[in-house]
Amino acid sequence: MMSLYTRRIWINRIGITLSMLAMSLGLIALLWILWTLFSKGFAALSWDLFTQDTPAPGSEGGGLRNAIVGSGLILLFSMLISTPIGILAGIYLAEFGRVSKFASFTRFMTDIMLSAPSIVIGLFVYALFVATTGGFSGWAGSLALALIAIPVVVRTTENMLKLVPTSLREAAFAVGAPRWQVSLKVTLRAVKSGVVTGVLLAMARITGETAPLLFTALNNQFFSTNMAEPMGNLPVVIFQFALSPYDNWVNLAWGGALLIAFLVLAVNIAVRVVFRNKDKR
Amino acid sequence: MLNQSMPDQAMPAGEDAALQVRNLDFFYGDFKGLSNVNLDIAHKKVTAFIGPSGCGKSTLLRTFNRMYDLYPGQRAEGQILFHGKNLLDKGQDVNLVRAKIGMVFQKPTPFPMTIYENIAFGVRLYERMSKSAMDDRVEWALKKAALWGEVKDKLQQSGLSLSGGQQQRLCIARAVAVKPEIVLLDEPTSALDPISTAKIEELINELKSDYTIAIVTHNMQQAARISDYTAFMYLGELVEFNETATIFMRPEKKQTEDYITGRFG
Amino acid sequence: MSEPSVTAGIDLHARQVRKFRLQDRFFHHSTQLFAFVVLATLVGILASLTIEAWPSLKEFGPSFLWTNIWSVPDDEYGALAAIYGTVVTSVLALLIAVPISFGIALFLTETCPVWLRRPLGTAIELLAGIPSIVYGIWGLFVFAPLFAEYIQPPLQEWLGDVPVIGSWFSGPPIGVGILTASIVLSLMVIPFIASVMRDVFETVPHVLKESAYGMGCTTWEVVRSVVLPYTRVGVIGGIMLGLGRALGETMAVTFVIGNANRINGSLFAPGTSIASTLANEFGEADPGLHIASLFALGLVLFIITFVVLAISRWLISRSLGSEGL
Repeated sequence: MMSLYTRRIWINRIGITLSMLAMSLGLIALLWILWTLFSKGFAALSWDLFTQDTPAPGSEGGGLRNAIVGSGLILLFSMLISTPIGILAGIYLAEFGRVSKFASFTRFMTDIMLSAPSIVIGLFVYALFVATTGGFSGWAGSLALALIAIPVVVRTTENMLKLVPTSLREAAFAVGAPRWQVSLKVTLRAVKSGVVTGVLLAMARITGETAPLLFTALNNQFFSTNMAEPMGNLPVVIFQFALSPYDNWVNLAWGGALLIAFLVLAVNIAVRVVFRNKDKR
Repeated sequence: MLNQSMPDQAMPAGEDAALQVRNLDFFYGDFKGLSNVNLDIAHKKVTAFIGPSGCGKSTLLRTFNRMYDLYPGQRAEGQILFHGKNLLDKGQDVNLVRAKIGMVFQKPTPFPMTIYENIAFGVRLYERMSKSAMDDRVEWALKKAALWGEVKDKLQQSGLSLSGGQQQRLCIARAVAVKPEIVLLDEPTSALDPISTAKIEELINELKSDYTIAIVTHNMQQAARISDYTAFMYLGELVEFNETATIFMRPEKKQTEDYITGRFG
Repeated sequence: MSEPSVTAGIDLHARQVRKFRLQDRFFHHSTQLFAFVVLATLVGILASLTIEAWPSLKEFGPSFLWTNIWSVPDDEYGALAAIYGTVVTSVLALLIAVPISFGIALFLTETCPVWLRRPLGTAIELLAGIPSIVYGIWGLFVFAPLFAEYIQPPLQEWLGDVPVIGSWFSGPPIGVGILTASIVLSLMVIPFIASVMRDVFETVPHVLKESAYGMGCTTWEVVRSVVLPYTRVGVIGGIMLGLGRALGETMAVTFVIGNANRINGSLFAPGTSIASTLANEFGEADPGLHIASLFALGLVLFIITFVVLAISRWLISRSLGSEGL
């Protein structure tokens, strides 16, 4: 009896130890990647990174100015496209989606699109846009990223709206307000910060996306703000530079990776901190 | 079984009724939440609905402004006459009903906007007016709700910044501001402290000179204090309906008496 | 501030109400239209990929799927090597990631002190936030060299002589290859699987766990005999979600898989995946069969991941009790 008991205790100890090992492994991976990023990225960090354009192959110096500006523009426009579409679609799912078959079907498909391979989105935009308008462009890049961001915005908006207390919705209806005003002026406003969070998370998600930009925005080694032409952008520059044989380029790739990761992680952490305070209130 | 006393149930009948409820049944899907309710809500009086939880008193209140319309599967059958027209008719526009029959909820529900906007929001829906007229209306409504003195210097602050009792009075001001004929109150003080509760009760007393008021309450003393008529409900049926004094002093039904004396089992 | 007469009010209201009704109808249909965008994208992807892949589909037929050739000079294409690489790296990644994710979820829901739950949970979620290109460059420059120097040689020494298994670890230890790609992929999918597992573990009613603890069960026994059986469906859903992610992952894999368009029995050997083939070749592909075949690859990838993700979402929504299909 005692030996069976001891055996059970030991199995439990082993199981718990293994689970703690798994947890540490996850943490180590995170810290290791962050440490690498910071140590290698900081070495590449300088004013030149922000003030100079990408250098020619094999040459010294240079920075990422064109890629940073390009990424900024592409991101800006993709968020301008995806935010209204995502929020309105999210409102539809929350407002009319409780009963409609079409809405639950859309919700299901949106969940799938959340994890769909981003490179396929790139192929789609290439076929739809690049091949037909005759060229790679910043617009195509924005469109591809927007298609990836939309499902994220849709789902967070819907989830946030579902958190609105029924009594608030009813109170808005009770003064005789039509549904669109209840939705836009009361419930949406009540979860404003949650929806902003969703938009920020969507932005974080697409900031590092590389695959869909490869065949859409392509790259541009020169400074350009013309969205109708191929446009430099951080992810593609990192991809090209990291796989190149030039030390200077590899170095810049690390600098770029640090910038992107820093932005993405900062948004992720900020969103959680802000939300945590909200919970406490 | 209730048919015998039906004529009495419908009192106070006639011209004085703001709402006339006739043969009202209510369904949550297959479950019958109300059956064969008949009563009149008296004009410019306070009518209270009491009964154990789940008796259908809130359900009944929510048929008066068709709040149940928001939820598929819920439906009402019968008649609720308002100015001679059946509110339950398919053709009846619910927004119009709700503009004429305001509602205040159990928990304070200020809209996520400024105090001023909380009031102006509802007014703007059906009336076009100048900025100064709107200012007047907001002031008037806040005064009606006995809140003006406390908020007149912070009209541009968020409605959420007020205390619970103040928020509830803001909600009453909001309901009053659109100049409804009837105000429905669904356990308006159950989430409030005794002092705020006393203020709201006082307010209800004043409001009844201008409005018809229907209030659901879980608190019998409250019903006794503020209402002119009281309806006792149990298991989805209207058991007894009469002047409040009668209900509390000389109830006709055994069930009513048991509930009022706390011997309910 | 006198009371407006009731009849005048009703008249004004009636006009307003008609306006509201129109506005509401417009609101309903316009938001519906935007919801439709997501569906349209999905259908658009399927349609456009099929159209663009058509020349290749017509030329090679279904044998495209099981032909092991990818030759640009001969203009002959088959998807087998890419499919093989995609499936093998993803399955291996899951073999690594599932036990670790399970451990993390177990730790976060059962043994972790409450004050640590949130920060540790956030840390795991942050792993999911790191862009895949960062995993790629970390894998290539940091992980692969260490792997080649410290892990591959001992593995070869240890297992190299075992029949069958030995061949999996043969070949030069160059760091990049199928196994490295699998390991990096596993790191990327751990946070997804772990957070789904954590979420479904938390749906287990406390009474159920407490009654098991009340019988004297250890934590391990409670998880094994109560939590896991109760959450089986959701756990499988989480694993499928990880699989869907792994199958379609592009950048991390492209950096470390070695990009060799052939099938090699060794896990140390370089290989390719559908996504990395697309990333490498699409930009410079010639119009004609080459680009059509790349579109065909994309179509295959999309269909595989779609099926996997659909199953996953269906299982997860069943398990979490939220609305799905």
